[in-house]
Order: sequence, then C-alpha cells, then structure tokens
Amino acid sequence: MNLLAIVDFSVVEIFAARSGWSGFFTLSTLVVTIAATIRLATPFVIASVGESVGQRSGVLNLGVDGVMLLGAFGAYYTTLETGSPWLGLAVGTGVGAVMGLVYAFITVTLHAQQGISGIGIYLFGLGMSDLLFRQLVGTPKPIGGFEGLFEFSVPETRFDVAYPDLYNHSILVYMAFLLVPAVTLLVNRTTFGMNVRAVGETPEAADSLGVSVTRTRYSTIIIANSLAGVAGAALALEKGIFIQNITNGMGFIAVALVYFGAWRPIGVMAGSLLFGLVNALVLQWKTLGIISGATAQLAEMAPAAVTIIALVVVTNRIGQPSALTQPFRRGAH
Amino acid sequence: MPANSLQSQSQPESQSESPSPPSPYLLEMRGITKQFPGVLANDRVDFNVKAGEVHTLLGENGAGKSTLMNVLYGLHQPDEGEVRMNGEQLSISSPSDAIARGIGMVHQHFMLVPTLTVTENVALGLKSDRRPLTDLPTVEKRITELSQAYGLQVDPNAYVWQLAVGERQRVEILKALYREVSLLVLDEPTAVLTPQEVEELIAVLRQLATDGRGLVFISHKLHEVMSVSDRITVLRDGHVSGETTPAETSREQLAQMMVGRPVKLVPDKPEVDVGEVKLVIKDLEVEGDRGNLAVNGISLEVLAGEIFGLAGVSGNGQRELAQAIAGLREAKSGTVSIDGTDVTNAHPSSVRKAGLSYVPEERMRDGVVSGFSVSENMMLLSRRESEFARFGFMRFGAIKEHSSNLVDRFAVKTPNIDTPTRNLSGGNIQKLILARELSSSPKVILAAQPTRGVDIGAAEYINEQLAKQKANGCATLLVSEDLDEVLALADRIGVIYEGRLMDVIDAKTATPHQLGLLMAGVAKAA
Amino acid sequence: MKLHKFFSFVLIAGALALFAASCGSDDDDDTVATTAAPTTEAPAPPLRIAIVSPSASNDLAFSQSISDGVNALGDERNIDVAITDGTFVVEEAAAQIRAYADEGYDLVIAHGSQYGGSLEEIAPDYPDTTFAWGTAADTFGLDNVYAYTAAADQGGYVLGTMAGALTNSEVIGVVGPIEVGDAKLYVDGFKAGAEAQNSNANVSVVYIGSFSDVALATETAQAHVGQGADVMTGSAQMVVGAVGVAQNEGVLWFGTQADQRSLAPEIVVASQVYKWEVILQQIVDDMDSGASGGKAFVVTLENGGLEIAYNDAYDLPANVRQLAEDTIAGIIDGSISTS
Repeated sequence: MNLLAIVDFSVVEIFAARSGWSGFFTLSTLVVTIAATIRLATPFVIASVGESVGQRSGVLNLGVDGVMLLGAFGAYYTTLETGSPWLGLAVGTGVGAVMGLVYAFITVTLHAQQGISGIGIYLFGLGMSDLLFRQLVGTPKPIGGFEGLFEFSVPETRFDVAYPDLYNHSILVYMAFLLVPAVTLLVNRTTFGMNVRAVGETPEAADSLGVSVTRTRYSTIIIANSLAGVAGAALALEKGIFIQNITNGMGFIAVALVYFGAWRPIGVMAGSLLFGLVNALVLQWKTLGIISGATAQLAEMAPAAVTIIALVVVTNRIGQPSALTQPFRRGAH
Repeated sequence: MPANSLQSQSQPESQSESPSPPSPYLLEMRGITKQFPGVLANDRVDFNVKAGEVHTLLGENGAGKSTLMNVLYGLHQPDEGEVRMNGEQLSISSPSDAIARGIGMVHQHFMLVPTLTVTENVALGLKSDRRPLTDLPTVEKRITELSQAYGLQVDPNAYVWQLAVGERQRVEILKALYREVSLLVLDEPTAVLTPQEVEELIAVLRQLATDGRGLVFISHKLHEVMSVSDRITVLRDGHVSGETTPAETSREQLAQMMVGRPVKLVPDKPEVDVGEVKLVIKDLEVEGDRGNLAVNGISLEVLAGEIFGLAGVSGNGQRELAQAIAGLREAKSGTVSIDGTDVTNAHPSSVRKAGLSYVPEERMRDGVVSGFSVSENMMLLSRRESEFARFGFMRFGAIKEHSSNLVDRFAVKTPNIDTPTRNLSGGNIQKLILARELSSSPKVILAAQPTRGVDIGAAEYINEQLAKQKANGCATLLVSEDLDEVLALADRIGVIYEGRLMDVIDAKTATPHQLGLLMAGVAKAA
Repeated sequence: MKLHKFFSFVLIAGALALFAASCGSDDDDDTVATTAAPTTEAPAPPLRIAIVSPSASNDLAFSQSISDGVNALGDERNIDVAITDGTFVVEEAAAQIRAYADEGYDLVIAHGSQYGGSLEEIAPDYPDTTFAWGTAADTFGLDNVYAYTAAADQGGYVLGTMAGALTNSEVIGVVGPIEVGDAKLYVDGFKAGAEAQNSNANVSVVYIGSFSDVALATETAQAHVGQGADVMTGSAQMVVGAVGVAQNEGVLWFGTQADQRSLAPEIVVASQVYKWEVILQQIVDDMDSGASGGKAFVVTLENGGLEIAYNDAYDLPANVRQLAEDTIAGIIDGSISTS
C-alpha cells in the first residue's frame, strides 16, 4: 500500500497536465471513477435486487420507478422535517412496503394483469410524489442526508490518506452491497426462498404441497417494493435533495437489470455496476475533455446502449421464472 | 411399515387420537354434490376406500372423477355431502388441510418444480428443523431410505427437469410417502408410461396397499384397471353408475357402465389388399424446439390400404416428425414424399394438395380455431374452393349445407353449426377435425394421437373411421402412445425412441411386452 | 420469443413514460389565479395569461423564472394567470397550449424551445390568440407569435470573470444539461469570461445529456471536484444535486436562471437572474397597441431583463465585486464582447 501511494504520487507529478488520456490513467482519477461507479450503481443494486425477489416468485412490477419516487419523497420530507436521515430511511422503506401491499392486493388477490397494474403504480408514484412535494415543500431545499453524517471510516492508514474515495461512502452504499449476499442466502438457503422459487416456477405444485402462493407472493412483493422505497430513499438522502421525477426512469432500468442478471442477485449487481461504470467513464472522459462535442452526445447513449446490447447478448434466458406475470388461481389450470 | 421413525412435521397423527366410532373405511365420501355453471359435475356421489385396498375410480373425461378428487384434496368445496377419514368428519378447504389429514395425490400433470432438485421438491411445504434455513441433508437421507424400501429409484440431487417421465412420477410418489400419507390418490398415473413401467408401478402400488394404505387409482385403461384394482367404482355424467370388482366384471361390461351402451373395444380390422407406396419418408432429420435432433434419421413407407402404427412414449420425436411431414416444421435433411410428389419443406397447403390429411396432436391449438363456429372450422380447408366462395366472398348457403352434412355424417354432437367450437367436448372436436380432414378424400392420413383425451364412445367412432379409410385404400400413419390402440388398428408397428425408429414389427406377431422394451429404448427385443 | 418479451417490455416502458407524463400532469395542474393590483379606472377585464412550461414552476431555475416574471407583471396591471408545468412531454404540452387557446386566453406562453414545432402548427389555428414562445428568436413569420429569449451569455460572461478571479486551483467545472438554447449560451459566455479574466484557467464543460438526472449531475460535480475544481456552475433544474456537492466540498458556485442562494447560502457567490417581466411588459404593451405578434424580444443586461444577484451571505472581495460591475458596464456599452 505504501508502494501504491508512492507510485500514484509520481504518476500525478509526471502527468501534471490534466487533459487527455494521460489525465485519465492516474490512480487518483481511476479511484474517483470507481467510486463514482459504486455510487451510481447503488440505487440500482437496491431496487433491482429487491425486484429480483418479486420476480422469482412470479410477479413483475413495472411500477418500481413510481415506488422509488414515493420512497425518495418520503425519506426526503421526513429528513427535512425531523433532521434524522435514519427516520427518513425508515419512512421511505415503509412507504415502499405500503405500495407493495397495494400492488400485492391488486395483482395477487384481484388477479389483475401485472404489466398494466405496474404502469398504474408508476403513474401514481410519479404524480403523487410531485403533488406532495409541491404541497408540502414547494421549492427544493437541501437536506443533510447520510452524506457526511454516517460516512464509513476505517482507522487511518497510508491507504486511507491516499484513497479515501474508495471506501468513504455513506452507510447506504454498504447496506446496498450487503443485500446481495443476504438475498442470495434468503432465496437459496431458506425454506421461504425455496417456496419463492417454487411459486415462481410452478405455483400449482407449491399450492398442492400446502405452500400458500398468496402469502408467499405478498411477502416477496412487499420485500421488493420496500427495497424500491429504500432505493428511492438512498437517492434522495445521498443527494440531499428532491425534485420532480428525480429518479429519471431508474426504476425501469432496474427492472431491465433483473433480466440482465438472470434473476440472480450477483448477476443483478454485476449489471448495476456495469451500468454505473459506463456512466462514470463517459462522465469522467467528458470532464477530462477526452470526448467532447458530437462524440460526447453520442456517448450519452452509451449506458442505455450497453445495457440493451448486454441484455441481448448475455442474458441467460433459462433463469426466467416460468410463472412470471402469471396470476395464480387454484384449480384453474 | 417403516414410517414412524421420521419427523414429518406437517401431519398430525391420524391413527389413534380420534375418539370416533370405529369405521370399516379409511375414507368415506358421502353424497358429494358439486355444481359448476351449467354442469352438475358430481351428483350425490358415494365413494369409499378401505385401508389396504386399491380402489379404482373409472369414468370418461367429464364424468366427474377429477371433481370428486379435487373435493377430497381441498381444491374444490362441495355444495353438499361430507368427507370422513377413519369415521371422523373433515372439512378440507385447502391442499394443506388434505396433507395434514394424511391424504396424498399424484396429479396427472405432475406437481413438480422443474428448476428444483428432487430433494427440494420433496421438502417443499415442510417445516425445517433448521428454520429459517432449509435442512436438505435430512430430507435427502429419508428419500434414499424410502426409495430403497419401495424400489423407487431416483437421484435425490438431480433437478427435476433432468428426469424422465417415469422418474418424475416416482418423485411424486416419494413426496406422498415422505408425508406419511394413509390415503394416496393417483390420477391417470399410467398415461405416460411404457408397459414395463406400468408393471413396475402396479407392483409399487400393491406394496403400498399391503403396507396398510388406501389407494385410489384413476384410469380409463381397462386392462390396467382389471389388473390393479381390488374394487372399481364407475362414474358416468357425475353420478355413480356402478361398483364392482375385477372378479365380477369384464372390460366390456366396464366400458358399457362408462358409456351407457355396449361398446366395441377392439375395432374390426378390415382385410385390405395393400397397394402402391403412398407415403415415403427417407433419412429424415428434424430439429426440436431447443435445437436438439428430435428426429434422427427416420425412414419409413406407408402403402395404400395400410395403417402404419408409430408407437412410443410421447416426447421421443413424434410431434416433430408429424409437423415435418405436414410442412409445419422445417426438415433439416432427408425427404418426404406423398403419392410420388416430393413435399419436403413444402408449404402446408402444397402438402395438402399432394393428398395429405392431418389430424394434429394439439387439436385445440393446431386443429381448430376455438373461437370459430363449427361450420367455420369445417370450412377452414375448403374456403377457397369455388363451390363455397365466389369472388372471394363466402357462399353461406352452400357452406351451411355442407357443414350440416358433415356434422350428421360424423356424428358431431353440437347444439348447432354456429356454436363456438370451444364449447364442444374433446371427443366432438376431434370428430369435427376428422370430418373436415376425411371429407376431402385424402390419399394419406397422418393421425397424431387421435383418441387421446377422447371418451371411449368417440374413440370407438374415430377408430371405425380410420378403418373405413383404410378400406378405401388410404395410407395412414397413426402416431399414438396408446399401445392398445396401435395393436388394434395397425398392420405394421414401428417404435420410435429418441428420434430413431427402433424396429418395425408385423402387428400380427407383436406383443405389448416386446413393444414396451422397444419403447424403453432396448434395441431389438429378443 | 424471450427476446420478443424483452422488446415488448422496452416498448411498454417507453410508451408508459410518455403516458406517465401526460397523466401525471393532470394531477399537477396548478392553476394559480392571481388577480392583482386592481386598477383605479373602470374595471377593465383582466388580461388572461397562460403558461406552459416543461419543469416545475418552483424549480429555482428555468420554469420558475417565467412564472415569477408573469406574476411580477401583475404588479402593474390586472391579470389572470394559469400555469401548466412539468409538461416535459412535448405532445402533452401541445395539447395544453391548444386547450388554453380554446379557453380564450389572451396570451399563451409556450416556455420551452422544444415546443416550437408544435406552436408552428397550433398558432395559425387561433388567429385571435397571441402566443409567446421562448426561449427562441424565431416567430415562424407568424403575426400572432412573439419570440423571446435571454442573452444568457452576458450574465454568464460576468459570472465567468468573477469565477476566473476567485479560483485558486485554476480549475473550473461546469455541469450543463443538453448543449442547446440558453444553457449553451450561458455556458459559452461563462467559459469565455473565465478564460478572458484568467488565461491559466482550465474550464471543464460537461453536458450530462439530461435536464432531470440529479444523480448524474451530482457525479459530474464530484468528478470536477476530483479534478481539482474549486469553482463550479451549472444550468437547468437538475443542478440542485451539483450544488449539494459544491456545498459539501466547499467549492464556490455560480447560479443562473433564478437566484440559487437558498440552496447553499455559504458557497453561492452570485446568480444570473432572468427578469422576464421586462420583455413581457414590452409584449403586453405591443398588444395594447393593437399588434399580436411577429416580433422577437431579448432580455439583456442593458434592458434590465438580466440581473446579477449577489449573495449577501458570501463575503465577496470588493475588487471582484468591482470587476463584475465593470464587466456589466463594459457589456452594456459594447466595449466587451461576450464571445
């Protein structure tokens, strides 16, 4: 680590000129890029890992973006009023859970078509979050989120001095990435997870063995939507602000990333990081003037393009739960 | 009975705790009535099972067998009647209630999760000792014990999607045994098995009964029913039409109880002098849905006046072969010719023009447009013929007359010719398809599973029609997984296994045993 | 098959984004009826003005500037104002513009350069209605359309010279939305001003490609800071995230379109503020004289439509303040060119 610091120091000295590729290939710039990748990926990781749980049980929710918006507003407003981002996070999660309950009632109890219902949830979240923001807040006011408040810090080392950006993230970032092993464990190693997989694949079989399809799907939908709420909360608390449509369609990317990750948390995380990395690279290159003008405008499409191409090329279709989007009615087959 | 040492958590002990008066029956269903919109599915049905016996529930499709068993398993609630186990009245409102009462069911469409392992499928729905984590090693150990005790060989760590049909059925039975069922219901368990597998299954069932369990065996295959049952209850149109034992009855009598009139089980096989070759398949290779070689080099010829039976367990390439012949699936290599015309990879309409009539396996999907009326479906083939259309406009008068004729000639039971086809029974839809296909005086008939899921009365009629076409000099390729049907109708029998033609045998000398070995892939039976 | 599913998903997602906006705005319609300053003379019917704008009218940026401007007009005369905001979908905005024209509003303001194509189709259908389109310089040759725009490069240049004077690291970061309209004018002016003041200054301009992506705007600001920037600016509503970064990192910020000091009182040095009421007054006067369009108006430092709002909470060195005032004077008298 000591060596690393020395290398970086000399590299910085040699390439003092900070334009062009030489500026990009400095350790500090690479570190900043990696840190940006992680931050950009965080809301996606939370939302899409959550959504993967819902989809494993056979329920698709296109309303993730709407739930994120409501979670973001709930967290923002609570923090603005109380000054406590923890309380904000709790409210954001709770708002997500309530939306999950609503969505579960619509799709599981009422057997509504999932695609259209999800769109309804999205529209509701988009409109409602904006309306509440205007009524209750009005003009954007910054809040103290987790930024600076709960930053993770390790005992000082030389590495610490050189690259705090690498790990100096808010606690939310760490929570997001801890979700990946947690959800993997939940799905693969618990009886609940086994029920989820069975219900998403062959709900009739699960039902015939006394596994309640309804209860299982309610649980997964509430988990998925709570995490969408957390993702929105993370966005608002990390940025310390809320504006209309702050998610900018992130929830839809999150749904796509579930397909990309073949319904496995680790794959979903890889997809989120890839998306974050492409965004961070494009941004960093623009900052350094490596790309500019028309090239830069072209590059703005790169994250979406890479995601779609990767989806087409990489996605392992075998992982798709057979009962995805299929409502379950006992004895109806 | 080796079932008391394990810890099955979902089942309260059912033997001694209930203080009810001793009952001679393990299960009693009394006066079960279930009404669906427009159908009285069960009409005051009484049905009971003693411990240690195999009680067969026999009946046509729609006779009410499935409804009765769904009531027992908590999938339907009866409008009237009561269910008792060991004399105690039960209210079963869900499958978990049924499981808790020691009732197990092996469904006709397997209730297995393909993406889970055998062990996971068995463990599903059970409480784990290591909650919230699963405890699969314990389950696996018990599965191994059970499969050894009953000769139900299966790899506990295999994924279900990797298993053959017979193995999947074993998993279903293991699931029930693991839950220490006292009553086991098997819905059409032999439909997908080779004769050898059927024999093995029957042996397992006998052992399960000997161990003191009650078994309900649902089937419409009369010879199996005769060989496995202790008692037989026959349902017709939702009510019990008779109860008997194999010793007191015969297959013909059973068929009569099912249909309500005498039925000729074995159709007359007309002696016809065979003519020239009408259908030639040469070195045909066809890919399946997953890019596998589903048909792997098949060559065969069918002569005028001959029925060639293609036997085999379904999923061995029959579907792909039939589709390739009919022009519905691309042949990778090889040739197909009909009446001397090469129709390899020809458009389906060209294939038909060459003289093929096709009775498809998926009759609701490929055979009819289910939302169309009976007469519209009758017209699907001939709608461009000038007799029924002028300048592209349909001549409804002529169409009506033609359709009514066909409905009468082929005894299609329908309220009228404008009834949507989806409202017809499976047997009548099949008759409709047959009427349409055979009325065009074909040279070659390709009939895929023509009597599957069809009631005995309709099957009898369909078989008669095929025999009649044979007498007319038609060449017929009959694809069927029902060995009885193939043996009864065909002149020569080929057996397909994993896309290859194992052997071709003269029907006069063929035996079910010999065919069964070929169906299981054992080459050139001794 | 599966691929097909994915594409239908993408289609649905796209379609619903459009749909969303249209439905979303139904609940957002904020119809503010302001009847201000009753005139002393005979109660003339109020002038009815409608605004259609792409983002929230309280965004501390683009949309807020026009609603503030129209409301300021209310100090002078009796007006009746209706606002539909958040219509970032052009089709939805077009429908709303038509609806206002149908309802008989005297002046319908289409506040977004992206609405131009729609307005060109709509305006000829309503010859009795006056339309104003901004920010734009073109009236399509229609005599019932006014165009208005801001010489955003002027304020940008002034703020740029201040930035050039204040930077120590000589790295200045700019977070832009999309390289069009007054955002581009502002950024170009800012860059020119900074470089004119400080020839060593390295002004790094990044357009993020979106008007609403707060996350990307934030990361862009972070990247500028990573490259050593100690002064930043940005344009459009998504910069609120970037201002937060500036606040956390102790980097100076210059705002535009509206006074942004409330976002971060310690680090906002000054903002360029649009006073649309100046040209709105000209438009209304022109209408009073019987015209109904065909002219283009520009807010500038000279006509008072552009102002530099200094943040009193920030301790601005007197010489920099003087530099700014001199630059403003120079631009007004033509001795300084902003390009």
